[in-house]
Amino acid sequence: MKKKLVSLLLVGTMVFSLSACGAQPAAPAPEASDAAAEETEEAEKAEESEATEESDEAQAADGGELTDGKFADTRHITVEVYDRGNDGGSDPTNNMYTKYIQEGMLADHNVEVEFVAVPRWTEVDEINNLLAAGEAPDICVTYSYATIQTYANMGGVQDLAQIVEDTKADCPNLWDWLGETNMYWDKSPVDGTLWAIEGKRATANRINTFVRQDWLDALELKAPTTKQEFEDMLIAFRDNADTLLGKDAAKMIPYSVSYDVGWRAGTLIESFIDPEISDYDYYINGFDDRKFTQEGTKEAVKLLNKWYNDGLMWKDFALYGEGDTTEDDMMKAGYVGAFTHNWDYPFRNGEDSINANLQRIVGEDAKFVAIDPFEDSKGTHTKFVDSTAGDRKIFFPTTNDEPLASMLYLDWISAPEHIEYLQLGDEGVTHNKLDDGSYEIIAATGDAIQNSGFNIDMTITCNGLHLTDSNLTDLTTAHSYANIDPSLVQDADKIAKTDTRPAKCVNVGEITSESGVGEALNSKRTEVYDLAVTAAVADFDSVWDSGMADYLSAGGQDVADERAAKWAEVYGDTKSVPEMK
Amino acid sequence: MKNTGKAVKKYWQLYLLLLLPLLYLIIFKYIPMVYIQIAFKEYKIGMSPFEMPLASNHGFKYFIKAFSNKDFLNALRNTLLLNLLDLIAGFPAPIIFALILNELTFKRFKKVTQTIAYMPHFLSWVIVSSLALQLFAPTNGFVNQIISNFGGEPIPFLNDPAHWVATYIFMGVWQSFGWNSIVYLAAIAGISPELYEAASVDGAGRFSKMWHITLPGIRPTIVVLLIMNLGNILGSSFDRPYAFQNNMVMNVANVIATYVYKNGIKGLQFSLTTAVGLFQSIICVIFLLLANWISRRLGERGIW
Repeated sequence: MKKKLVSLLLVGTMVFSLSACGAQPAAPAPEASDAAAEETEEAEKAEESEATEESDEAQAADGGELTDGKFADTRHITVEVYDRGNDGGSDPTNNMYTKYIQEGMLADHNVEVEFVAVPRWTEVDEINNLLAAGEAPDICVTYSYATIQTYANMGGVQDLAQIVEDTKADCPNLWDWLGETNMYWDKSPVDGTLWAIEGKRATANRINTFVRQDWLDALELKAPTTKQEFEDMLIAFRDNADTLLGKDAAKMIPYSVSYDVGWRAGTLIESFIDPEISDYDYYINGFDDRKFTQEGTKEAVKLLNKWYNDGLMWKDFALYGEGDTTEDDMMKAGYVGAFTHNWDYPFRNGEDSINANLQRIVGEDAKFVAIDPFEDSKGTHTKFVDSTAGDRKIFFPTTNDEPLASMLYLDWISAPEHIEYLQLGDEGVTHNKLDDGSYEIIAATGDAIQNSGFNIDMTITCNGLHLTDSNLTDLTTAHSYANIDPSLVQDADKIAKTDTRPAKCVNVGEITSESGVGEALNSKRTEVYDLAVTAAVADFDSVWDSGMADYLSAGGQDVADERAAKWAEVYGDTKSVPEMK
Repeated sequence: MKNTGKAVKKYWQLYLLLLLPLLYLIIFKYIPMVYIQIAFKEYKIGMSPFEMPLASNHGFKYFIKAFSNKDFLNALRNTLLLNLLDLIAGFPAPIIFALILNELTFKRFKKVTQTIAYMPHFLSWVIVSSLALQLFAPTNGFVNQIISNFGGEPIPFLNDPAHWVATYIFMGVWQSFGWNSIVYLAAIAGISPELYEAASVDGAGRFSKMWHITLPGIRPTIVVLLIMNLGNILGSSFDRPYAFQNNMVMNVANVIATYVYKNGIKGLQFSLTTAVGLFQSIICVIFLLLANWISRRLGERGIW
């Protein structure tokens, strides 16, 4: 009975808001409440007085709510901000930048902003708890769409479809910055619901492969440009361990891969995928974001397996879990010849970066440089990168009763000059201006400390540096790594941008078989990757095939099948995504 | 009834004191049990569990789902297997240790040994597992480095399923045998010295005294602890397997607690998780009752 009521109410609300198109934000769904009785009552009441309530609100909220972009009476919203818990960081909910936003929002829109800290590394669990308790901030941000979908199914998330339309005129900066791609990315083609807005990635760079330049020089090798050359190089490293490492020769690791093989050999795996793979095939087998089920991945892992058994890789890698620093320590100590990781990995962390450590421990000329060694079947170096969306997602829980104020907040932090200030701070305090016009980030103190690189945690609609001048953005990025030669960063950036293939927005509605299986399938995938890489050469096929069969039977096949079916429903026979309207 | 009233009146201070722990139990242990029913229902956020719709198959959808899931069955098997091995290896260890300690006459040595044996108990499993990694990793591990220095082949303590089980059990015994021996030492201390004197007069040696006096003297303690351990045969701590497991040995290291964490909590399948937890609890209670019943049939006191 209860279910019926709620669905009736939801249907009613949707129908009404569609017919009242363009009027104003839809009434927020009733607050998630612990008291079931109360909720039932509310639902019933809401249903009975649906029409009157809606039209009442229509008048109240209609444009007149804002004068010059300002509310007549002060509104109050809460906003999630990540707490990275960094040593000596500033208070994530009260620092120079939060004050900047609070003052700006109050002055421009008469909205009070309160920040709620959520630990970055357990954000999904934390948001789960807050949502379940009905205490989630009005504006939530997460990397996990599955979480949003799950809570949306349980009735805990607001449908933004109508809200974004109604507030479009009030949010020019938001629409300018995110564009229709990111605003509508998650819009369901089936029922038109929109549970989240996609924050924008300022850079699509993903993974690079790095090699010790000084080792190449010592062995008079050129940077490899093909898999064969790469393998020959690894063999040369292994066979010349005595020359390169002296008494530590036994610790030599020519190529290091660890815990997350799908990421840590990402560029190698992608090079085995057909660079001209159709959007359809890529999507059907694309549930696993580590390309586990893509055509070609097996061959890539087979090569890794060969390298592993030839003593070219770290023997113990599978024993060390996520977040373990053993591998990083070996890179810093200079035992590692080559590795694949985030596009700027050896440059990160200032004084403690891998390259800075190498220079201190091994010598002045010891350094990792980016290379592009894995050619695909066309001879190019295709990298499957994300589109501007698919990163952080912003959603409003049903407990948010200030959708308009919340949208204005998103608009405010998407204004180019606000992004620039939040990311750069004050001259002389957080940055210096360099001769070429770009900025150099300097160590700030106290309130001015940015808890995340370029304050990406504050600019939730923008992940990555985005200045008003795009040339300066690139230059500033290169200068943003303390103690690192900017040209190394520029090279890495160039390689990461070579032959990229951005993901297309395939949105065919909710794939129901995906909900709830993500975690289980991900852990299976990492397991199979590890087992397959470390298997004896003779066992490789059976290990991979049985692991894959297990993965598929645990839900992987259902996902692929449903994706295929939904694709056919929405796009028909075509194998590529039609241009967005 | 009248007597009860009288007793309450007479000892009202004591009953008042009892009220607090009772309240604790009611608020934190019994009221949350209301949520057991989500095992039989379709979980909806922000809705009272009484209002949630019944799951299909008369509410048993999630039990059926769990039992048709290969990973759950695998976790069930592993839980039983690891707990059984733990019981076999871990249960006698503190008894033997207590017996040996009891025979030591040099007091100071006894004290030092005891203290050292207690120490590992205070290390969390996360630390114990890191220790295991430092010691037993195939190439970087201390033990295997020694083995390779002597020209041997490294032993895959942690990356081969059978070896992993042995390491897991061994580290478990190492961590807890000292601490668990305390109960037995206390029980031994309670045995009347006259019995030993009488036995000496009758010409009993050290081993016959152990066998005929000490062991029977601590038998009730052993039985109670055995019952409690059996009651836990399907229960499992989360931190120990979770800290120890790695991707190479998942087919033996995946236990119910980690299965529930990965699939249920992280996968947001609260109904499934509750169903599995409920099943686990019921089996534990059955084992507990069974063990208790058997021990009473055998003439021991049992725990009630």
